[in-house]
Amino acid sequence: MSETRRVMKAAVSAAFLVSAGSLPALAQGTAPVPASGTLPGGVAYELRSDPAQPAAAVALWYRAPSSGFGAEPVPAISRLAAATVAASSPITGTPLGALVAGYGGRLSIEAFADSVSVTAVVPPERVAATVRAMTADYFAPVVTDQGLKLAQDDAAESAEFEALVPQDAVEDALGAALFAGGPLHDGTIGTAAGLRAVRIGDVRAFAERAFRPANAILVLTGDAGASALDAVASRAGAPAAGPAAAAEPPVVQRRRNEPEPLRRTAETRGIGLGWAGPPIADEADATAMDFLADALFAPRTGVVAQALGDRRAAATGRFVTFRDPGLFLVTVTGEDAEAARPIVERAVASATHPMPAAAFEAARAAYVYRLLQSMETPADLASVFGWYAVEGDPAYAPAEAGGDNRYFRLARALTPQAVARAAERYLRAPPAVVILAPPAPHAGPSA
Amino acid sequence: MTIRSVALRALAAGALLALAAPAAAAQGTTVSEGGAVRSYVRSDPAATLAGVALFVDAGLDRQDAGRNGIAALVAQTVLETPLDGVPLVDAVERAGGSIAFAVTPEHVRFYLEAPPAALPRVAALAARAFAAPAFDRSALAAARAALGRRIAGEGEDPRSVGLQMLRQAYYAGGSGMPSLGEPGALAQLSADDARAFFARWYVRGDAFVAAVGRTGAATDAAAAALGGALPAGETPGTKVTTRPYGATPRQIVAQRDVGAPYVVVGYAAPALGDPDFPAALVIRAMVESLLGPAVGTGVAPFRTAGVIYGYDAAPAQLAVWVNGGRTEPAVALASLIALMRGAAAQPIPASAVRRYVDAARGEWALETQSLDERAFAVGNAVTQGLSPDVDAAIAAALPRVTGADVARAAKRWFQRFDVALVVPRSTGQHG
Repeated sequence: MSETRRVMKAAVSAAFLVSAGSLPALAQGTAPVPASGTLPGGVAYELRSDPAQPAAAVALWYRAPSSGFGAEPVPAISRLAAATVAASSPITGTPLGALVAGYGGRLSIEAFADSVSVTAVVPPERVAATVRAMTADYFAPVVTDQGLKLAQDDAAESAEFEALVPQDAVEDALGAALFAGGPLHDGTIGTAAGLRAVRIGDVRAFAERAFRPANAILVLTGDAGASALDAVASRAGAPAAGPAAAAEPPVVQRRRNEPEPLRRTAETRGIGLGWAGPPIADEADATAMDFLADALFAPRTGVVAQALGDRRAAATGRFVTFRDPGLFLVTVTGEDAEAARPIVERAVASATHPMPAAAFEAARAAYVYRLLQSMETPADLASVFGWYAVEGDPAYAPAEAGGDNRYFRLARALTPQAVARAAERYLRAPPAVVILAPPAPHAGPSA
Repeated sequence: MTIRSVALRALAAGALLALAAPAAAAQGTTVSEGGAVRSYVRSDPAATLAGVALFVDAGLDRQDAGRNGIAALVAQTVLETPLDGVPLVDAVERAGGSIAFAVTPEHVRFYLEAPPAALPRVAALAARAFAAPAFDRSALAAARAALGRRIAGEGEDPRSVGLQMLRQAYYAGGSGMPSLGEPGALAQLSADDARAFFARWYVRGDAFVAAVGRTGAATDAAAAALGGALPAGETPGTKVTTRPYGATPRQIVAQRDVGAPYVVVGYAAPALGDPDFPAALVIRAMVESLLGPAVGTGVAPFRTAGVIYGYDAAPAQLAVWVNGGRTEPAVALASLIALMRGAAAQPIPASAVRRYVDAARGEWALETQSLDERAFAVGNAVTQGLSPDVDAAIAAALPRVTGADVARAAKRWFQRFDVALVVPRSTGQHG
């Protein structure tokens, strides 16, 4: 708690003093600017230029629990806080959301269990101005009543919508089946009522702690040059010291070891199965789990889709490369979800047996393509670099150096046996289970 | 890895229609005449994938009145054609790529994408299906089912529903028919219909290829394979015809299972090659600025209003949609009418023009981020008899747009309109 206070105090004292363009001339020398590094103000950056792209992505990623830093979780506060800053009028003028719209660009904010990102896709000539405005706005966040009201309206509507999307609702609840506490337990959706009840003081406190320069990872992709790094805003005055000068440490997850399914009342119906997987540092196994999720759950050709046939059920599965542990998340939704569950479980269990060679090669080719296809646009690439950086292993990002990088070398090295061994290690144990169902209808008055 | 937040997926679920796809990019497109069909090549050496789009002169305008959906059914059946027992679409996936199609008024566009090393194999599979498509009961049934799923998906988006209503009112003949057909009409189409349509229109004629991304020997080989799979033959030219907008707007109403009413307003709009096109992009930015929220938060799952510019046909159509769940539709409609009248009556101030030009330039640049979007941009330009790099010319023209240009375009194009209302079933209104 004392550490929290120190961090916040330092952040608040610096928040009034923002200037732009005062960094050393990083890009003005003759030596090429490294693709990754840390700027003098403590901001980590990832820069991957592609001048053939017609646009660029400017993204800020932060390690921050979706439900806040306090002992009492405030579900979805990270997204609310990031949106409030984007909608609040900063001292320097136009709110970020309006600024990006004026550039013909698109602003998006995404919250994950342990991180939050703000991404603007803009035309190349607006990259420097966007970097300047975004870093100024988030490094010294201004939170206004009006900005909070706008953000609450949008976030509440978003929460209501997501609660109705079966896969989203099931995945959001799965964290609570896997963990007794911590960011992965709390989920990222929240509720409309809860979001509307968040106080401005809590939003401000979260923003001032989470959005500090030392906790930031700036990602530039697409047609963005190194000179844009000169536009990063810095705080005037004495540099931050102590905890305020460091990135947020990873939060420890507390596992839930209940054998019984977690049953929840929800707006939608569905079943979730979750397994703790390898940490990101175990790159070989993490890659194997990525492959496995794709091979099992590819929409048309995956093992599960083939097994389900024409049943009125849909199953999704993915491996999420968190720092520790990674998560293998499966959802089963639709009218026949209950009947489909054992089919899905059998398919997952079958992964402990090596796939036939030909099927394995076909599945790997499909998986490699889908992965590359998901990294086509500047925003896609920024998401990949931001994610792997915030989870602590940027060199493992699949987007690095096109398709010839550490990740894809590991993918090429996969064998049916290695994948089966990874499945044996992580998917043999019974999964955590969550079952969502709408509330039972009230019985009518008896005659 | 799987990086995906719920917010991102929510937006993707309601993502704007692909109908009015994109254009822009600074570098030049080269033309190759060497293969069976002409190839337009736009390279991006930093891309990891290569894409090849085959444009076949078998679009909506080739459909006659009794064969609504035949263009889509034939295209989907090609994808469902079994190769060694596996449908083409799945065989391509197992070879490490993807294949998909889109039907526009003048073409059907097949788009193949893969890492360069896999592309020749993927293209060879597609070429086999083009050479001998299976119009049997099984493949047609699979095609109808696949189209049915896509149609159902589009039917859940009130903007898509309204847009189709407006297209049907504006475009005459096959061009106004739904791009994927309708389930009832698809069920009536026979294998003979499909065979005849394929035999008549899937010929080299005016077919061409657009190659994008990491181009080179692999895309050259793919283009040659695809073009070579089509038999020689010519197709007569067609002209997309329209029904003029009247002084009194047509009002079309449909009931759907939607959460809120949507109003979609359709205008005739300048085509890609029209001198008014850049000014129309500025008007688009102006409308979005007026009807959209003044401040974006980055997390709204649904927007208040937006514009869909259907410049995939000439003449084009511009549709403005208003989400009645977030704003009062009548007020928004009145504001839109007043905006268009005001813009036509006298030039807007230069400072406002600059602001909207800035937004229009950015929006234009953002329309060609993916490889598929770039292939569309090249092919759409070529289809309309323009330079494949017309997108760059438009980007260069935008800063020169003046208030007088905006006034001229507003007066010529945006005073007459149709209105589509998509209302929830429970409201009791009738269509």
